[in-house]
Amino acid sequence: MKFFEVEILLVEDNSSDAELTSRALKKKNLTERVYHVKDGAEAISFVFAEGEYAGEREVNLPKLILLDLKMPKVSGLEVLRKVREDERTKMIPVVILTSSKEARDIAQAYKLGANSFIEKPLEFDKYMSAVTEIANYWMVLNLPPW
Amino acid sequence: MKTTAVELKKAEADAPGKPVKLLLVDDREENLLSLEVVLGDKNYELIKAHSGRDALKILLSEQDFALILMDVQMPIMDGFETAELIRQSERLKHVPIIFLTANNNAPDNIFKGYQAGAVDYILKPFSVQIMQAKVAVFVDLYNKTRELRIQGEHLQKINEQMAQHAEELIRINQELESFSYSVSHDLRAPLRAISGFARLLKEGYDDKLDDEGKRILGIIGNNGMKMGKLIDDLLAFSRLGRKELEKSKVDMNELVANVLVDIEKTVKHNAKIEIEELPPATTEDTLMHQVWCNLITNAIKYSSKKTPAQIQVGCYEDQREGNIYFVKDNGVGFDMSYYDKLFGVFQRLHSAEEFEGTGIGLAIVHRIISKHGGKIWAEGKPDEGATFYFTTGKK
Repeated sequence: MKFFEVEILLVEDNSSDAELTSRALKKKNLTERVYHVKDGAEAISFVFAEGEYAGEREVNLPKLILLDLKMPKVSGLEVLRKVREDERTKMIPVVILTSSKEARDIAQAYKLGANSFIEKPLEFDKYMSAVTEIANYWMVLNLPPW
Repeated sequence: MKTTAVELKKAEADAPGKPVKLLLVDDREENLLSLEVVLGDKNYELIKAHSGRDALKILLSEQDFALILMDVQMPIMDGFETAELIRQSERLKHVPIIFLTANNNAPDNIFKGYQAGAVDYILKPFSVQIMQAKVAVFVDLYNKTRELRIQGEHLQKINEQMAQHAEELIRINQELESFSYSVSHDLRAPLRAISGFARLLKEGYDDKLDDEGKRILGIIGNNGMKMGKLIDDLLAFSRLGRKELEKSKVDMNELVANVLVDIEKTVKHNAKIEIEELPPATTEDTLMHQVWCNLITNAIKYSSKKTPAQIQVGCYEDQREGNIYFVKDNGVGFDMSYYDKLFGVFQRLHSAEEFEGTGIGLAIVHRIISKHGGKIWAEGKPDEGATFYFTTGKK
């Protein structure tokens, strides 16, 4: 898979959560085009095609970024800020998928231009259905910018 | 900068017994001597200066004079000049000065003397009684001022200590809040993995597990759910602590009706719920919704084993407390000897097997009511039901 063909960029430091999310997406037959990065720094490298992600294009534009907030090194909010600051990447739909329900985080995410803010449900069924609903909405119903 | 109670007591004790210092300024030894005789037998410490210069020197090195008695006519630097210099010192300008002056040039001198900062006058030759009385008045004033100052300092120290304690309390509270928040927050991820992967195991390997294996997996899943509920409740409790109240006039009838609609949707029960007319209250509606919801859900839960289960929601007016709202049930009740555990976090008076729950519901109710400045209390008897009362605080 070429990086520019990735449709969903999953930014998640917790490997269990990432696996659950991937499994839920598998049910929607989207896994082929999902790419998982393990922290904010890697997410930035991916989007801006730097380092190991350098390739044919100067930026990689997924149709959706599923972004966790609390991550080591570079936080989700920092990733969001970087993505929104750059003319080339500012339109990528970004959905925050996090354990936090802190009013401060929610406000900050929207201020920085998040398209949606979803709290990770604790219960398995709810988690699975939340992820499939997100995928269905953003990948099927929603018209992406490119 | 902590001051102990012992130190403060010591400072207080120092005040009254200590002799009071007076500065006597005169160029003539015999005048000083006569002042010493007149003021000698009191509890005064008399310090003598033979010139204005001498007086200033003493004032620079020694402190806490209650009064200065100063002759006006002195060579080189007279009393007025000396007084003006004394007045220029921030530390000394409040020390009262009594000028001693000869009768002959009185009116002119008096004016000059007050300008220089004298607080009183005594004409020479002076009467012993008047001298003693005047000095006594100033010494008394000095003592009272000193006492007042010590008390003021004492009070200030107490205030500072209180402010320190308050600050510390706020800091500890904040730490506790953020601790419980981050703990419960961070607990969610591994928990999601535990129950999530238990489910995946069940779904993907069901045919490979025997009954015992399935039972064990069920226990894992169930406990995961319970822990999830605990964490969510703890988070809600923690969030409450940091929330600012937004009060408005709330129609309690409407609120309780909404609560009942919510309850009917989520809780299966056979209780007969009777609702009386409720007066409005000035509260935050979402929090008050939570209070009613928790209390009524509790009433339903703990009366679920009774037929018929009866719940009464009402309000009465009390002269001292104002409107007292209540929720009464005929359920299992509780033993009043465990009353102190009723509103504690994670405290339960029934086992989870008997009645499910996390033990946070009433702690949340208690916190909401306390935040409003209201009161909450309860009465109960084993097997005869419980009644929870609350007020919503002053308007």
